[in-house]
Amino acid sequence: MTAAEPVAALPDYRAQAPEVAERFRKLQERPVILEVRGLVKDFTVRDGGTTRALDNVSFRAHRREIMCVIGPSGCGKSTVARILAGLEDASGGEVLLDGKQVHGPGPDRGMVFQGYTLFPWLTVTKNVMFGLELSGEHSNATAEEEARAWIQLVGLHKFADAYPHQLSGGMKQRVAIARALAPRPRILLMDEPFGALDAQTRAQMQSYLLQIWKQVDVTIIFITHDLDEAIYLADRILVLDAHPGRVRELMEVAVPRPRTPEQFLSPTFMAARRHLQELIHPPAAQAQDRIPMIRMTVVGDDVE
Amino acid sequence: MAAGRRDWLRPFGELPRRRGLTLRVLAFVLPLGLWCVVSYVPFIWHPMIRVTDPGDVDWMTRDQVVEGDAFRTENQAIAARGGHIARGAPTNPVFLPAPHEVLRALVTGFTTPPARPDEPWLHEALLHSIGIIFWGFLISSVIGVPLGILCGALPSMARLTEPFIEFFRYLPAPAFGALAVAVLGINDAPKIAIIFIGTFFQQVLVIANTARRLDPALLEAAQTLGAKPRQLLWRVVVPGIITDLYSDQRVLLGWAWTYLIVAELIGVSSGITFFINQQAKYRAYDRVFASIILIGLIGLTTDVILASIGRQIFPWVRTSRTGWLSQALQRLKRGERRIPVAAISAEVTDETTTQTTANVAAREAAS
Repeated sequence: MTAAEPVAALPDYRAQAPEVAERFRKLQERPVILEVRGLVKDFTVRDGGTTRALDNVSFRAHRREIMCVIGPSGCGKSTVARILAGLEDASGGEVLLDGKQVHGPGPDRGMVFQGYTLFPWLTVTKNVMFGLELSGEHSNATAEEEARAWIQLVGLHKFADAYPHQLSGGMKQRVAIARALAPRPRILLMDEPFGALDAQTRAQMQSYLLQIWKQVDVTIIFITHDLDEAIYLADRILVLDAHPGRVRELMEVAVPRPRTPEQFLSPTFMAARRHLQELIHPPAAQAQDRIPMIRMTVVGDDVE
Repeated sequence: MAAGRRDWLRPFGELPRRRGLTLRVLAFVLPLGLWCVVSYVPFIWHPMIRVTDPGDVDWMTRDQVVEGDAFRTENQAIAARGGHIARGAPTNPVFLPAPHEVLRALVTGFTTPPARPDEPWLHEALLHSIGIIFWGFLISSVIGVPLGILCGALPSMARLTEPFIEFFRYLPAPAFGALAVAVLGINDAPKIAIIFIGTFFQQVLVIANTARRLDPALLEAAQTLGAKPRQLLWRVVVPGIITDLYSDQRVLLGWAWTYLIVAELIGVSSGITFFINQQAKYRAYDRVFASIILIGLIGLTTDVILASIGRQIFPWVRTSRTGWLSQALQRLKRGERRIPVAAISAEVTDETTTQTTANVAAREAAS
């Protein structure tokens, strides 16, 4: 976006249509599923000192909300997801799920990773059954039946008996979503799950995710660095600062639901985008982005 | 596909199928060809002379193989005296038989009775050796594979055992020969023990390293699905490394074979080692070569069979063509599943689900 555009024509990013405001009021009324209080994470560095990756991060997510977490690189957004999943210990603060503190990883918090983490030795069905079998609550037959329903939900019933290496990247992530949802987690953590996909597949996966989310009682915490993705998916966006990671803002996305790709060009969407852009990449920082370079072409041979 | 000349030298370049096959054949043809050249071309090497007519040399007899230099010196002396010179054809030393002789020994090896009644037949000697390898490798694997997996998966286990194993693996297995005989007697037990010592310590370290190479993201994913430590071990670590572990075992089995000859010299010499030594005593080097080649063939055949079995039992490996066994298994499985699948799809009539599926299908069709 260049300065020449009529930016002043965009509405305030906070301005909400009545039905959007109503939706947020309802969302706030829903019970709090996830509460994060004063999360701190220190990493030990080589010389024995510590560096603070997360500093006093607090937020609440309500039932069936999609909350996106964005921020510049190095803001610790992946660390947030990993701490919530229990894969890393926090140095301070607490994570409450349904009001109870969580310790270590557990099936109540599903996770979809950026890399492909399907078990290569299991078929799609067996992958989705994995969590169901671990719980020991299902017989093999009911677990398989349930797994097939989840596979149907992500539209991959034709590939139920395929092995992961036979699937495309987008399909693998859809199976990963089905696998994470099958044990009925309270929250679904998604750590840049579509980051490795090409732009077209990513757009497709985003709309799949919205469709799936509508059918399932799950709260989604979605980590991304893609502003458009965040606005397209989220009810609210948690913006983090870098070095150390602090909460900059918890922004309500005024773009009405249901979301469609056409909304990318709507004024509300663009207003939200501009606001995020300014938060994450302020104009002052952009000026510093210019790298001093030596000219490698003949004087006068200009392309711009 | 026309592959240019420079494709031969491109690192990790892909070989056309035919060229790959040719090279594979050449891998055996080249050394064999070298052996043929040395054996059949009279002016290459052939340092000895096989006497066809001793002439006036009183110490030579017909068919005796003598040093070329000695033969020529004698003939010069006789020629100077004006006597009847000896005649002979150049030949190789007795320890390098020609390929056709070895081939004949291979063919007749199993039908030739032993020189003395108390000696084993060739197949008896081979079976005995295979038995030693089998037991040594089996006992080593029964302890070494689980220990290796545990060392790889549990840092505490690795710290506790690996330093000692690291030390022990540098001790040459044959050094324990005398000890093994003292403890286990002179028959097969000490030989099995040497194979065990030669294999076990490497095995633990190799398999531990394989286990450590498991993608940690798989372990994390399993944990977020609720896997407890024991479930991680059985449901992620073991299946996650099983294909690499299988390859490791194939390599280790090869190592076990290399300890065979040393092991069989311990106590009462037995098996193929005893057989080879006896043939060497009888100067039947064609049969010595045949026995050595048989060991190689047994090793190679075992490995090819194991590789083929590997393709059958690990259908998820990317490179594997679907083997006959897994095809049959899948057909069996599909047959079993046909009914439950129909039952499920009949049950899923929930509107929302079908709607989503329809959407997804439509999108998939559109894309």
